Amino acid sequence: MAYTGPRIDADVHHAWRDDAELLPYIPTRWRQAVADRQFAIGPAMMSYPHTAGVNKRLDTYPPIGGPPGSDVATMQRQLLDPHNVSRVVLGFDVGLNAAVANPYLALALVQALNDWSIDRWLSQADDRLYGALLAPTHVPEEAAAEIRRVGGHPRIAQVLLPWNSLGRPFGHPVYHPIYAAAEELGLPIAIHAGGGEVAMSTGQTAAGGVMPTRLEFHTVLPQTSQHHLLSFITHGVFERFPNLRLMLSEVGVTWVPWLLWSMDASVDELRRESDWVRRLPSEYFFERVCLTTQPLEETPQRSQLIELLEAVGGLEDVLCFASDYPHWDTDEPNYVERRLPEAWLPKVFYENARRFFGWDTELPPAATSAQAPA
Amino acid sequence: MRYDVGSLGDFPEAGVRVVDAGGEEIGVVRWRGELFAVRNVCPHQLGPVARGPLRQRLVADSVGDPRPDPDTPVLACPWHGWEFDVRTGRPLAGVARVRTYQVEVEDGRVVVAKR
Repeated sequence: MAYTGPRIDADVHHAWRDDAELLPYIPTRWRQAVADRQFAIGPAMMSYPHTAGVNKRLDTYPPIGGPPGSDVATMQRQLLDPHNVSRVVLGFDVGLNAAVANPYLALALVQALNDWSIDRWLSQADDRLYGALLAPTHVPEEAAAEIRRVGGHPRIAQVLLPWNSLGRPFGHPVYHPIYAAAEELGLPIAIHAGGGEVAMSTGQTAAGGVMPTRLEFHTVLPQTSQHHLLSFITHGVFERFPNLRLMLSEVGVTWVPWLLWSMDASVDELRRESDWVRRLPSEYFFERVCLTTQPLEETPQRSQLIELLEAVGGLEDVLCFASDYPHWDTDEPNYVERRLPEAWLPKVFYENARRFFGWDTELPPAATSAQAPA
Repeated sequence: MRYDVGSLGDFPEAGVRVVDAGGEEIGVVRWRGELFAVRNVCPHQLGPVARGPLRQRLVADSVGDPRPDPDTPVLACPWHGWEFDVRTGRPLAGVARVRTYQVEVEDGRVVVAKR
């Protein structure tokens, strides 16, 4: 095997074992309503049920019970230990709770999730476990307050935005309080695919109308994040927040050359409406944005994938490995390794994420769980 | 090499059991009385294909009219759901096959033959 170095996994999903595990973190005023099942806090009803009945790898159910992603030991055994993963960024089960329709409940749930994650996962002795803080996006000022409330924790690595609640792309000025708070704390933003696939969600999934099938839903995942990236650049988010970084998670990779070429080609003609876009869009992109590798496009031939990725220079400095464990569309590290150019592997598996998350000091060699008991 | 992987009674109808045959995991399927054996490695990302659900193939003769086909037993990989006809190892889509082995019953014992 060509790559033997450490890996950083930028997109892993953790979950609570059952409602009882999360309930103590929910504010008293909501606890009774949740306990009475007036509101579900567990897995929300999926608008696009997976054909296997669950959108997880079926071998990731922990032997002690509970849903995939709810047991540290199982995650260590299946992901961290065998693949020399020195850090993971945990991002809930995509954090769709932020997009539940009731904005007051959404805020209470998001705060509970953040407290639960810090308490149950990010305080573990296993110092490979880092996490995202979930932002409540109904009211951006509340998101900023939540970032300032928990964003100083040493193992919080980024601010997670599931897709938008307000019907506007994420560069819109209404969201800027979120970016001010994130920049203040030195935290990058992650926009993760998801938000529209649960019933009664306010997240918007794609243009062109609501998709009736999961195949449509899953295939057009990149569409929404492309819009958000475009919005970040045209609304001057990177100009207004000069130290802000953005990660686009779980939306594939090969569309990037098209989007960069399209933006750059039109910027001169369209500058009159957005004079604050002072540089080429591609320059902002390569300076501030990273993408996770998963789901790495499954071209029939490896050479086709490489040709697509190399069509615009510099993607080897932008891609950060992500497994998406324990979700069903996971990419195994060994699979990613077989698909990408060998010279890219140290950057994609490790260096790019280390730089993106500001983990500038050399990380210790990946511990095994025997050395770092949970 | 031939490997005795258990008594026929250990292999329930319409079920799949993963057995060890010379250090290799093999999924043995019993379907309408016949036995089939596939390597427990998915050609996609090397997932444990034989630990996924065993189902009838879903076919549609016309748009919006799906029906299960009891003649075609299909294993779906528990990771990405790639489906394979367990009788031949052929994928329902694409070209990558899962490896199959000969399997027979001798004196009530299930025997897998590996070349």
